[in-house]
Amino acid sequence: MTGPVGSSPARGGGRDRVTGHQVYAADIRLEDVLHVKLVALPCARARILGIDATEALQVPGVRLVFTAADLPQPAPRFGPQLRDRPVLATGETKYHGDPVAAVAAETLDAAEAGVAAVRVTYEELPAVTSIHAALDPAAPLVQDAALRPGDALAGRNVLREHHYAWGDLAAAEAQAEVVVEGSYTFPMVTQFAIEPHAFMAAPDGDGIVVWSAIQHPNWLQRVIASLLDLPLARVRVIAPDPGGAFGGKQHAKYEPLLAFMARRLGRPVRLVLTLEETFQAVRRGASDVHVRSGFRRDGTLVFRDIRADYLIGAYADIADRTVAKGSYTSAGPYRVPAVRIVARSVLSHTVPSTAFRGFGNPQQIWAGESNMDEAARTLGLDPLDLRLRNLAERGETFIPGDTPADGRWAESVELAARLIDWRKPTAPGRGRGLAVGLKEGPTTGLSYSIVRLLADGSVIVYAGTSDMGQGARTIFAQIAAQELGAPMEAVTVVMGDTAVVPYDQQTSASRSSVLMGNAVLLACRKVQDQLRAMAARLEQVEASAVVVDGGTVAIGERHWPIGEVLARGLGRLGGELIGVGEMRKEALAEHPLGGTAAFYEFNCTAVEVEVDRATGDIVIARHVTVSDVGKALNPSQVRGQDEGAAIMGLGHTLMEHYILDDAGRIRNLGAIDYRIPTSMDLPLAMESAIVENGDGPGPYGAKGMSEGALLAIAPAIAAAVRDATGVVIRELPLTPETVWRALQDPVG
Amino acid sequence: MTATVPIRCTVNGRPRELVVVAHHTLLDALRDDLGLTGTKECCLVGECGACTVILNGRSVDSCLVLAAEADGGTILTVEGLAVDGRLSALQQAFLDTGAAQCGFCIPGQLLAAHALLALTPHPDRAEVEEGLAGNLCRCAGYEQIIEAVLRAADEPAGGARAVEQPMVRQTTSDPAATPDASVAPQ
Amino acid sequence: MRPFTYERPTSLAEAFRILEAHGAAASILAGGTDLIIRLRDGTVRPEVVVDLKAIKERDDGLHERDGRLVIGGWAVMTDIAADARVRRDFTALAEAAQVVGSAQIRNRATLAGNICNASPAADTAPALLVYGAEVVATGSGGTRRVPIDDFFVGPGRTALGAGEIVTSIELPLPPGRRGGVHLRRTRRRGHDLASVTLACAVMDDGRARLAYGSVGPRPLLVTDESGVLADSTAPAEARDRLLDRLLGAASPSPKSMRASPAYRLAMLRVLALRAADIAARRVAGGAAA
Repeated sequence: MTGPVGSSPARGGGRDRVTGHQVYAADIRLEDVLHVKLVALPCARARILGIDATEALQVPGVRLVFTAADLPQPAPRFGPQLRDRPVLATGETKYHGDPVAAVAAETLDAAEAGVAAVRVTYEELPAVTSIHAALDPAAPLVQDAALRPGDALAGRNVLREHHYAWGDLAAAEAQAEVVVEGSYTFPMVTQFAIEPHAFMAAPDGDGIVVWSAIQHPNWLQRVIASLLDLPLARVRVIAPDPGGAFGGKQHAKYEPLLAFMARRLGRPVRLVLTLEETFQAVRRGASDVHVRSGFRRDGTLVFRDIRADYLIGAYADIADRTVAKGSYTSAGPYRVPAVRIVARSVLSHTVPSTAFRGFGNPQQIWAGESNMDEAARTLGLDPLDLRLRNLAERGETFIPGDTPADGRWAESVELAARLIDWRKPTAPGRGRGLAVGLKEGPTTGLSYSIVRLLADGSVIVYAGTSDMGQGARTIFAQIAAQELGAPMEAVTVVMGDTAVVPYDQQTSASRSSVLMGNAVLLACRKVQDQLRAMAARLEQVEASAVVVDGGTVAIGERHWPIGEVLARGLGRLGGELIGVGEMRKEALAEHPLGGTAAFYEFNCTAVEVEVDRATGDIVIARHVTVSDVGKALNPSQVRGQDEGAAIMGLGHTLMEHYILDDAGRIRNLGAIDYRIPTSMDLPLAMESAIVENGDGPGPYGAKGMSEGALLAIAPAIAAAVRDATGVVIRELPLTPETVWRALQDPVG
Repeated sequence: MTATVPIRCTVNGRPRELVVVAHHTLLDALRDDLGLTGTKECCLVGECGACTVILNGRSVDSCLVLAAEADGGTILTVEGLAVDGRLSALQQAFLDTGAAQCGFCIPGQLLAAHALLALTPHPDRAEVEEGLAGNLCRCAGYEQIIEAVLRAADEPAGGARAVEQPMVRQTTSDPAATPDASVAPQ
Repeated sequence: MRPFTYERPTSLAEAFRILEAHGAAASILAGGTDLIIRLRDGTVRPEVVVDLKAIKERDDGLHERDGRLVIGGWAVMTDIAADARVRRDFTALAEAAQVVGSAQIRNRATLAGNICNASPAADTAPALLVYGAEVVATGSGGTRRVPIDDFFVGPGRTALGAGEIVTSIELPLPPGRRGGVHLRRTRRRGHDLASVTLACAVMDDGRARLAYGSVGPRPLLVTDESGVLADSTAPAEARDRLLDRLLGAASPSPKSMRASPAYRLAMLRVLALRAADIAARRVAGGAAA
């Protein structure tokens, strides 16, 4: 294919990103704005006895101390899965950082002084902050049972249980010649986008405008409209490109609070979280996963039996969906005749967990692939061969009722093995590990795009995707440029404003190149239809005789650039051609996830490590990641997403975790003691490769690919550590101290 | 009463006189008093480097410098890197290698790299890794960032080179527009 | 950040007057990389911040004088780490200064500030201890010299009197061939606070000085006159017994979240041996001190 698709033109918005002119949410200055700061308590759970704002209101510049009492009663609640999150804590705080009040003031200094002057009387209550504690029958209930009417689980700290099964497990157990099992834990980690969340709200006549660097502007619009009882058309969400999101900016957090405050004050309000506050707003669910796998002696999988508990937070957010979806594929990309999966979302007095790159899967893949590595050892087989023996082939149904395997996955595995020299001996002191990751893509979707071909041949694309670094803006421009023959510099992509841009369900699950990409493509095709009609009219032929392709209009042997036909066709009044594209991925009521996978993300990660046995240090000498992307629409951006996901995954593998004290407070709040990888923590050599078979459902055969390289990194490294030292570690992160302890007392 | 301090400094080549709040940082002054929002705010403890600027020839975390300390100083922010709309070699290399993903850390990365190359014009990879270790990138585009710095260092003319290159133009309707302002998508 | 006023004295005399007038309500601002974090988190709440950087007696350089290397009280880590004499004669200090935070931090953080904060984990402290540094403290009553080992009192506490300022830190030039090294343990390879920070200097006759921090309320200095520590060919049991003595005073806090006491103590031994071996190799190589 010639044209922009498949090449790597400069990123859309790239120039503004290197000149400092990119406008992020916190960079927007509103006239007459009031600054908001939150009041929170230094404990995980407390009964609020009273909030005295008298002193705070005397601080010069403080205009409002807003509490739950200022909200309509009963206190409005919201949430994508369960409407359980109050706009402000009501009666009880449920996690360290759960705000009880918000202060609005003329300056940030005054707001901070106001917060310091708010007197909250409270009684600290016992908190449950671990899976074990939350499941104790005597544990306090995190959720008020009244919020879960008719829910049989409402009397426990289990929000939901998910059961998936196929095949005859009992029969398979009888056939298994070797059974390997183990439990694997994954810690609480946080998204740590370098851009802390920023929110603003301003009254707009009888409506409201909300600014938020949110991944799902249309979803937020619905939440605000519902809470404020406004028509959608009176709620405008402006969503500047997020400065990193990683799932942590999918769903509403403090936008509802700001909307209520703005309406109360009749003025714009602004809240920019500190990094510490983002730790208290978003995180990934921790987990404890038990995997039991049965094999024949030759390595053929005969069953997998998986029990997973995820520690979610005090409010559901989208956490239970991460549990449902992450668990659903937990048997892996393998042909497994009998499977039983039980997963529970366990509520706790901790920060509400939410979407985070990988969406519930990294926890399961850490367990499932570590179990495969242990199985290979037990069976005396090469871990690579064990994977290859069991991998589903393209077209093969591996989860009954769902999309068959949509890639030649063995190709990715073999490529990774080749790149890491798997079949060659390892240098002394080193070890190699390999793991695969599978993630179910979006199960439903609805994206609209409008494409306008202007009179001079330039193009405006409207797409409601949020460009949070994945580069969606560039991809859509490439598609439009490809289809309408416009140079890249003549394509403008408009995003991030519900008053302007048509509906998009959401930016998540690595969907945008596929779903919105197809919507853009369809909109372009609609424009091409009009060009065909135009050319047919001008040349007096049937429309079916006109071909529009690669920027030209052709009738038989004659062809013209699109711009020429357009100019003639539009005539003296000018005008433009407008195409609307709609891409749907329909829901299926009977499907356990509500819909089948639009595609699968598949990745194979292979590493070679060196372990310092005296200190427990792991040095990653080589890191290979191979993703099956269908088609790389923009290879440079594919590389950025792959390598970025891989290195981000090194964080939860090697160093990241929340450390709580006995009272459930986060001790390592902030950047000093919550460590993420720096430029000095990279593998000594990294190679990211892709497999392109054009077998994806997206434009030109593309699949989503932004999460894959994060999925399998933890089990690959643990396997390499095992290979180097003989020690099996089943807890993350693999800090030097954890590895050192394991080496002192090797029980694995 | 909030204490203030009058200061004079040169920001991106332009002399500025302003009155800063005594307890405000240089980051606050740049973003809020001068409207130079290219300098980013994240951790506020000198760990992430998003607020990196060059003060008197050296990279600093502007969150850990009081605005008053900048009195008499010369400051370079990301807005001062391009000259007459022409990108510096570093900026161009960041663009060419795809180093900027979400972009939020990029101003800090650019200034840290600028300071590094001023001191070490031809760094090896380890020196780049060390020189940028104070700048977190959560998109973790480190490989492409390092590649960009090494590529810029290879440029014969160093920091001044600029190349015009076709760009994807980017537009959102003016996000700061007042709610009832008419919406112009271009 | 809570409000405060800002003073920028232009002479030591003026600084002393301001510090005297405000007493405990004043905080000294040198590089600010530590102070401003504490101003923000509220662990320090001064009424006035006294910025010392405009003082005319300010010395931010490194000079050789009377058989000593004088490091000005305003010298920043970047310059110390890059200084050829420090790298040659006080290698452990150069290495320690090089890992104090990122380039941005090292461009602001002063050596004087690092020791005045008296963090048990201060990376430069062990090097200053093994090199027998003296702290030059100046106050309205005059100037005095405090051996670095007497300077550290406890976490955040030093021998500095009220209103005194560290105007320089002096290191005696090496009396002979010497090998030195700084090693540390962190949670990642990128910059981090140390869970063990350690310096070792070995003379060509095998005598060794070892100092370590982050394993007790203040950094500690020990010496080995026997030559066993720096002798990699010595029987392992002999070195072990020696380490029992040299490291016996370490008492890591069980409250830290950065590493457990058991791990710190184990790593202290590992680092002590590695450092001794590196320092011994360096003295043998003759290239560094």
